[in-house]
Amino acid sequence: IPSSGTTHLDEPLSRPPVWTTLPPSSTLKPGRTGFKKVCTTGEASPCPFPGLGTGILEMRVKEGSKIRNLLGFAMARMQEQVKPDGQVGVTQVLFTGLDRAITKTITCAEIMKRQVQGLHQLSKLQYTTVREVWENKEDGRSRMTIHRTVPSICILLSKDPLDPTEPGYQHPADVRSVSDPRDIKGERVVCRKRTLSPCSQSKQPNAKKAHSAIH
Amino acid sequence: MAEPRSPVSVAQNPSGVSLTETPVVEMDPVEYTLRKRLPRKLPKRRNDVYVNMKTDFKAQLSRCQKLLDSSTGPREICIHGLGLAINRAINIALQLQASSQGALQLAANTSTVELVDDLEPEDPDEAGEPLTRTRNNSAIHIKVFYPDPQ
Repeated sequence: IPSSGTTHLDEPLSRPPVWTTLPPSSTLKPGRTGFKKVCTTGEASPCPFPGLGTGILEMRVKEGSKIRNLLGFAMARMQEQVKPDGQVGVTQVLFTGLDRAITKTITCAEIMKRQVQGLHQLSKLQYTTVREVWENKEDGRSRMTIHRTVPSICILLSKDPLDPTEPGYQHPADVRSVSDPRDIKGERVVCRKRTLSPCSQSKQPNAKKAHSAIH
Repeated sequence: MAEPRSPVSVAQNPSGVSLTETPVVEMDPVEYTLRKRLPRKLPKRRNDVYVNMKTDFKAQLSRCQKLLDSSTGPREICIHGLGLAINRAINIALQLQASSQGALQLAANTSTVELVDDLEPEDPDEAGEPLTRTRNNSAIHIKVFYPDPQ
């Protein structure tokens, strides 16, 4: 393993590595090559999107982002009233996420769709190359640049109608009851007596028997 | 100790959950066994592929590839993923597209799925009632198809 200079690990795009399915103990992780590395990342290619309007808000969802914070900001912008000088709030929001943040990105979009009715959605999937720079402060400040190809998602939510023939388009959902905004993931504990009907038994193939032991 | 608000992907096995937090309802500090109910059974068409984290990735990928290559039937499949399997579904779809040299197109739709957990009191002598917890999870549905020649 070279300890000085810059190493490029370029992955050809025809066979992009499937990072999310590699086992955690993979030797391809730079942190395990023996030196302590500090990483800074830079996204090489931003997400292209066909014909965006100017009044658009881009929300970059990271793995550690808090959904509460993301949505608090985005909802405030979307629900802004028309200002006296004629300025309108944003009409389009673009949620983007890479790799492990994809599920969170989808969750953000879903919650916003639930709280703001009548939003058109356009989702795009693609591979994005991320440029990571890893530095080793101990060993003479050697640096390593890694190009990683990871899956990414871009979800555009728009008050204005979008092209329905575009692949990935979803029309506004039907009106349904709005859940409590504090329920970020919609968790509710309901004290409801559950009857052990035969059909509910069949839905739990992996459950251990609760009534086997005699106390 | 597992937090009640932890994501679905963390625990697959039922484990004892001691609920002492108070999100909405006052809870007794009774030990409960968490049991996840399976999501609602959806009708499965010929070209529907549901992705999970248990089956080997390569196996699911080659199954999708075979469905696409089959000479009979529509040359399109729909890949579904729930929760942690979203990443895997996206990977499969992108890999299929990459190995088709750009001939395939993807169309992604997202949705929310309601999941129900059953909480049962650990000790039958305890006066805890069987509770039901509802939570939401994200799902993705990716249509992989050969576009019609214009």
